[in-house]
Amino acid sequence: MPRVFITGLGFVTSIGNDAPSVAASLREMRHGFELYPPFQKPEISCKVIGTIKGFSTDSVDPEDWTFPANYSIKRETIRSMAPHGLYAHCAMIQAVADARLSEGDISNPDTGLFAASGGSPMLTYYHHERMLRLGPARCSPLGIVASIVGTLNFNLVASFKIQGASCGFSSACASSAHALAYGFDEISLGRQKRMFIAGGEDGNRDAILPFAGMRTLSLQTDPNLASRPFDVARDGFVGTGGGVVVVLESEDEVARRGVKPYCELAGWGQASDGYNVAISHPDGTGSRTAMENAFKSARIRASEVDYVNAHATSTLIGDISEARALKGVFGELGVRPAISSTKALTGHGLSLAGAMETGFCALVMREGFIPGSAHITHLDPACEGLNIPRATLNQAPNVVLKNSSGFGGANVALLMKRA
Amino acid sequence: MPDPVQSNPGGNKALTLATKPFAPEEEAALREALKRCSPSTFEAAVQFRKTGNADHMPAVVIGVIERFVEPDLRAKLKDADDDLRLIEDLGIDSLTMMEIVILVEDVLQLSINNDELRNLRTVGDVKTFIDCKIRGLPLPRPTKFLPIEHIAAVMPVQPPFLFMNEASVSSTGANGKYKITGQEFFLQGHFKDNPVMPASIMLEALGQLAVLFLIEGAPTEPGKAIGANTIFFTGCEGVRAHRMCKPGDILTLSIKPKRMKMPLATFEGAIRVGQEKAVIAEDITLTFAYVESAAAPVAVEGSAQAAPEGAHPANPPLRVAINA
Repeated sequence: MPRVFITGLGFVTSIGNDAPSVAASLREMRHGFELYPPFQKPEISCKVIGTIKGFSTDSVDPEDWTFPANYSIKRETIRSMAPHGLYAHCAMIQAVADARLSEGDISNPDTGLFAASGGSPMLTYYHHERMLRLGPARCSPLGIVASIVGTLNFNLVASFKIQGASCGFSSACASSAHALAYGFDEISLGRQKRMFIAGGEDGNRDAILPFAGMRTLSLQTDPNLASRPFDVARDGFVGTGGGVVVVLESEDEVARRGVKPYCELAGWGQASDGYNVAISHPDGTGSRTAMENAFKSARIRASEVDYVNAHATSTLIGDISEARALKGVFGELGVRPAISSTKALTGHGLSLAGAMETGFCALVMREGFIPGSAHITHLDPACEGLNIPRATLNQAPNVVLKNSSGFGGANVALLMKRA
Repeated sequence: MPDPVQSNPGGNKALTLATKPFAPEEEAALREALKRCSPSTFEAAVQFRKTGNADHMPAVVIGVIERFVEPDLRAKLKDADDDLRLIEDLGIDSLTMMEIVILVEDVLQLSINNDELRNLRTVGDVKTFIDCKIRGLPLPRPTKFLPIEHIAAVMPVQPPFLFMNEASVSSTGANGKYKITGQEFFLQGHFKDNPVMPASIMLEALGQLAVLFLIEGAPTEPGKAIGANTIFFTGCEGVRAHRMCKPGDILTLSIKPKRMKMPLATFEGAIRVGQEKAVIAEDITLTFAYVESAAAPVAVEGSAQAAPEGAHPANPPLRVAINA
């Protein structure tokens, strides 16, 4: 089976809009949270989100949007995008440059693109309300492709003239981890030589606030305290958006092009809780099985893992479920890999999270450090026994495990190792 | 205040519509709808909405099209003739055409259905179409784009004396192109060591385009067609040559009918090379006769005739691609 490598990354995230600034934020544990103006109303109890800086996408009309001047995007291209389409488009441009891909490397039948996003609730509402009010004849012909789940793959595949496999993945907060996982399969089964994996979320009012209905958002008003996975005082997740693109390539392509990969994507596993539509299994059974399946698939022993980038979102139940799963996998072997949740810095990127955090893992493997788990004052006693560093370790991880879990009890574990 | 229903000395121009008063909120909505268009587009739209005068319509339509064309292509629209093609020249795809239509509908307060859009290929088609909608006139027949194979099959004139490479014919006129190759037999003698396209041949080329219009585009009575072999030259007036045309030049020919009454049809014609005027003919008059037409049009190999329902030319002009 061909081995699969990560050769390019692009980031538009709350903690930075390119790889160097993201790496600096992770190393220095700088968060990307701010009081979000649309939430500063008495009837909205959630106040903080992980904001995207340097972009303005509040308007329902993409031609009103602003973005950093180093990107130039034609009207014909931007008109069908959701806000996260713009973020991911910019991340794609970065990833292409980072991987040193030529135009011919991008647009050919051996190169595909998988994407994951939750669609655009803001644009869905806008276009739907307009249709009901004014009738379908007054609706934008691009309303559907700009807003439905799948908008991210439609737009990126068309904009970058992708000719290989393309698909969208929808398993809520495990979506882009699934996209990476199946992208790995496309290459390791020999179907494709290269896959772009894109994750995106609008991360605005309409994307985040509905989670308030589940009482799952942090109500903290202090941006420095809002997201604190594994802390006993955590009170919910902090939403964020953005766009991240990860380039996967076969070992032959890596050799042919003579590029130095970030790391190898060694394998993956998945399993489901079979428990509740929205609540994770209290013992983390699905997550544990997903990790074990990943070890089998990658032929890596759990004892080889030296860093786990946890799914932990800072919710009361979710963090404990994962802690129990981790104890089950590692505790019984008596090994204690470093565990941190970078959602303490970025917030929870929902469908974006898996790709964003896999990008972080690849980045820290190259940069040679393990980011600490930020904002922990009092570790939740349920996490005792796990090695959760509260500060960055100047230690280059060799084998990294990335967990992702989504609604319906979907769990994905991805394994990376030093190339 | 001028009377909203204007009288018009020109006769067939600027018919008017009964208009409703134009409220300030409507003006605000119009300003918002046209916020990315030029100020003159907005002004024209306001005038149209206030007076219903269709003379303002072309400025609105061109202004709306301009707003949707990529900035680097907008220059083409500035000095556009009506033959400028939406897809090939302006890069407008069918989805953009829908965006244009929705905005035009919104601004001019009319509704256009998809079938009507299918045959709009040029800026001129769009202007004529909207004009007919506003005036409540029957919609024109679509412009037909004719490749050389089709032209040669229907024309009584044949190579080496046929002076067009391609042509388009609508109900209001015809346009054609001819590239002077330098291989034309008469250029050997016209002139010695200095090939110049004879003015008489350029006039002939305009006459041929008028013949093509009579065969392919001219309105006829039911059951009748103009016989290709009945058309002959009778006279011309007001002919002026402005520019020498030489091998390598591409002649852009255009004719418009001025009068048509059996057995005479009079046209005005012009030839340009790029933006330069080459020849003007104020009147070219042909004689013609009707013949009984076959029930169905003769199928011609390689025909680009306006296709019937269901059969579209290679590049179907304006269909929204549904790929869901």
